[in-house]
Amino acid sequence: MRTGTLLHVGALVAAVAVALSFPSMAPSPYEITVGIAILNFAVLSTSWNFVGGFTGYISLGHGAFAGLGAYGTGLLVTKAELPPFAALFVAAALVAALAVPVGYAALRVRGASFVIVSIALVLILLLVFQSWASFTGGSRGLVVPRPFPGMLRSEHHRTFYFLFAALLAVALLTWWIIDRSRFGMGLKAIREDEDKAQSLGTPTFAYKLIVFVVSAAFTSLAGGLYALWFGDLDPVFQFSILSGAYMVLMALLGGVRHLYGPLLGAVIVGYALEYSKVEYGDTPLHLVVAGLLLGVVVMFMPDGVIPAATALLGRFRKSGETSIREVTAAELKQRHGQRDGNDGTDGSDGSDGSDGSEVRNSERSGSGG
Amino acid sequence: MPSASLVFQSVVLGVLLGGLYALLAAGLTLYFGVMRVVMIAHSAFLILAAYLAWYAHRETGIDPLLTLVVTVPLFFAAGVAMQRLLLTRLRPATLTMMSVLLTFSVALTIEGLLGYAFSGTQRRIRLGYSSAGFEFLGARIAAVKLIAFGMAALALLGLYVLMKHSRFGQALRATIQHREAAQLLGIDTDRIAGYGFGLGLATAAVGGTALALDTTIYPSLHWHWIGPLMAIIVVGGLGSVPGAAIAAMTLGMLQSLLQLELSTTWAQTVFYVALFATLAFRPQGFFGGRLAQRF
Repeated sequence: MRTGTLLHVGALVAAVAVALSFPSMAPSPYEITVGIAILNFAVLSTSWNFVGGFTGYISLGHGAFAGLGAYGTGLLVTKAELPPFAALFVAAALVAALAVPVGYAALRVRGASFVIVSIALVLILLLVFQSWASFTGGSRGLVVPRPFPGMLRSEHHRTFYFLFAALLAVALLTWWIIDRSRFGMGLKAIREDEDKAQSLGTPTFAYKLIVFVVSAAFTSLAGGLYALWFGDLDPVFQFSILSGAYMVLMALLGGVRHLYGPLLGAVIVGYALEYSKVEYGDTPLHLVVAGLLLGVVVMFMPDGVIPAATALLGRFRKSGETSIREVTAAELKQRHGQRDGNDGTDGSDGSDGSDGSEVRNSERSGSGG
Repeated sequence: MPSASLVFQSVVLGVLLGGLYALLAAGLTLYFGVMRVVMIAHSAFLILAAYLAWYAHRETGIDPLLTLVVTVPLFFAAGVAMQRLLLTRLRPATLTMMSVLLTFSVALTIEGLLGYAFSGTQRRIRLGYSSAGFEFLGARIAAVKLIAFGMAALALLGLYVLMKHSRFGQALRATIQHREAAQLLGIDTDRIAGYGFGLGLATAAVGGTALALDTTIYPSLHWHWIGPLMAIIVVGGLGSVPGAAIAAMTLGMLQSLLQLELSTTWAQTVFYVALFATLAFRPQGFFGGRLAQRF
């Protein structure tokens, strides 16, 4: 384990060094803007992963929180004349406060209804921000003044590159801390079997709500920082269902159970998006590409690239059992099913309660990780 | 305060709109019953059918209603294929979440392809009887709206008769109610589930053609439909066809009445208000049974 940890730390230091030296090595400011776009995606999908990765609740409407953070920051700067970075944090606090009632309504239901609510949230905010033009600027857009007025354009990009990188670091660190805490354990128990977690005494609803609010706050910070950097907001882009879909796509592609999963997904998808924009311009085909990519990931790689790669590596090593805790309920069900000569694909959740008994093994561990 | 005749006019329009909502919500309910799947792509297929009707009309000049002969079987087949080839291959444990993402990706793909093939321009069918209408107790009703409502009502009636009075309908209801028990009785539940899915998608073909008669269509229009439809099935209680129909009528009427006082976009928020209120106070919906409790 010792060499493994060293390797880990070494890789981390190397990655951070590359990321921090990127702006000074980039040949033109354009590359820095691509880097900022990718970092922005990385922060967004890491923030999404607080809910999606830990609890397994998939939200397609996280774009709403990013849009609220962006508009909140912009409006606080222009209307309330707050200093830009104070506005950023006030907006995040307001979004977090709003996430409490939204989460209260959305998290009372499981699975399908939760996704419905998350989509509805984006659609309703799009309607409101377009219709309420006197306050939000409507479809004419909202111009956010720059936080550093005297700064040159390239210097402006470089500063924001580091701001986004810092935000990403804080988000990753928070995710890592939660991942190793008792709180995170409870959240993962919700992901694997919510009824069982509840009957074992985990305060599931409170846990879900807390992590939902944390996720909303980080998403809002990313949106607000984007507003300060980009300086021009339009409801169609801020409250787009597509931005929420991108977050899900990136996190799933990288692997929702891994700290760096969303980051890796953001690098892949973000780079692909920029590349296709340069090569093919803005045609509706980017919707087709995003749709097909999401479909392929869901169908063939629902655990993401990282687990697929680790499994490939694992073939070359001596095959050791991983920690029991990291075995999903789905996998256990499948193994259990194979033993019974039933492949577990009955697909009906209507067979009341019988599916709870198969995850008993997963609770005895506690070491692992 | 709007006059009484204006209110009556809105009620009539609300009923006509509610009929279409009810048909489409019935399709969503079928998917949910058969597979526990929330089909985000339902309204994308709705717009696809509307585009096919518009395209056939523009190219050949035939009445859009005639395209139903092609689109209904086509959509039925597409539904069966989608269930057999895509949805059954997802892992059972995460089916509900992953199927949402999968149907979402189908919706994005359809929207993108429609935009690529027909551009983002707004399209509208001009028919000889587009402007025809008649007076009914002081309210003016457009003929195309009435035709659309008639189609929705006929399709719903057909669905009801099929579900209640045919062997296939019995098998389908048995599959929805208890899959294992249905299998024990010798029902091929996998095939029946596929047909149920196809039937759901066929409602999108009928609804889309009805929509094309009197609405301006564009590729991203489906987002304006999926929100209200999702709200309807949650308010009605997931999995309950009568619940969905009642919720569709009520909310359609409310939307139509609110348009008297507010702008169209603000009136649409009634669906989302109803959705959040339902989830906060009665998460299983107002007419849903045991099935809805689990979601």
